[in-house]
Amino acid sequence: MRWLRSAGAEVIGLFVGDWFQTGISVAILGAGWLALPRLHVEGVAFALAVALAVQLILATTAEARAKKT
Amino acid sequence: MGAQLLTFGAAFLGSGVESVEALTIVLAVGLTRGWRAPLLGTLSALGLLALLVAIFGQLIVTRVPEVTLKLIIGTLIVLFGLRWLHKAVLRSAGVVAMHDENRAYAQTVESLRANQQKTDWIGFTLALKGVFLEGLEVVFIVIAVGGTSGGMGVAVAGGLLAMLVVAGAGVIIRRPLAQVPENTLKYAVGIILTSVGTFWAAEGMGVSWPLDFVSIVGLAALYLVASRVAVTLIRRPVFA
Repeated sequence: MRWLRSAGAEVIGLFVGDWFQTGISVAILGAGWLALPRLHVEGVAFALAVALAVQLILATTAEARAKKT
Repeated sequence: MGAQLLTFGAAFLGSGVESVEALTIVLAVGLTRGWRAPLLGTLSALGLLALLVAIFGQLIVTRVPEVTLKLIIGTLIVLFGLRWLHKAVLRSAGVVAMHDENRAYAQTVESLRANQQKTDWIGFTLALKGVFLEGLEVVFIVIAVGGTSGGMGVAVAGGLLAMLVVAGAGVIIRRPLAQVPENTLKYAVGIILTSVGTFWAAEGMGVSWPLDFVSIVGLAALYLVASRVAVTLIRRPVFA
């Protein structure tokens, strides 16, 4: 049973490191899902990627700052 | 052709990195306690993983509409890739220690020596658990990239080939593969998966990319730049 729990935690851990940061990534994708199909502008999906890239920078620098203090 | 190559490459690299980690555990158990139990554990884990690929791969390919599949799997690949990239950035910046196969091997051997008097179920369970848990990531990568690109066979081939190459190297040198640039490979796979995930998730949202599949190269460049910016920011003296 403990082994199954550990496997379950491992599966969740594949996608979630920090729930807050994962929540932000999901929110960005959710916003894209709501907005992008309505815009009909070629290449606007790159805005979604830029938002995720900025989130990566903010999340990693925030974690590094927390670990260093 | 480009899509097939990317599918094969992502499955091969992802599987290769995880196989190196699994091999370290199996070698530590085998060289410390004998080979029978860890090999049985490894085979059992591989059987379970193959079952997962067969069941979920088949379900995904036959039951889920393509647009839904791209949205859901694309989102999961983005989260999975960002997680690898996040760790890679922190490792590159020196905030988190680099993964070291020699150290992982020494720790496993040490824990096994402390349990020498017990039955060999320990060797079996440790190998089973190690291979299964490391293999779960491979299963996800294979199903995700294979299912969404329509190249499940190519993805399975990439995953299996990497596993065979790593196992072969392990049989020959009988030491952890510490020379494999695991951290760099994980960094590269993190960028590939995040780019591919973003591409498919957006397609699942009904968006069409300029230049179609070639856009993935642009996405990869964007995530590479972002990750290097993060590493540079973290390394600044003012940050310490």
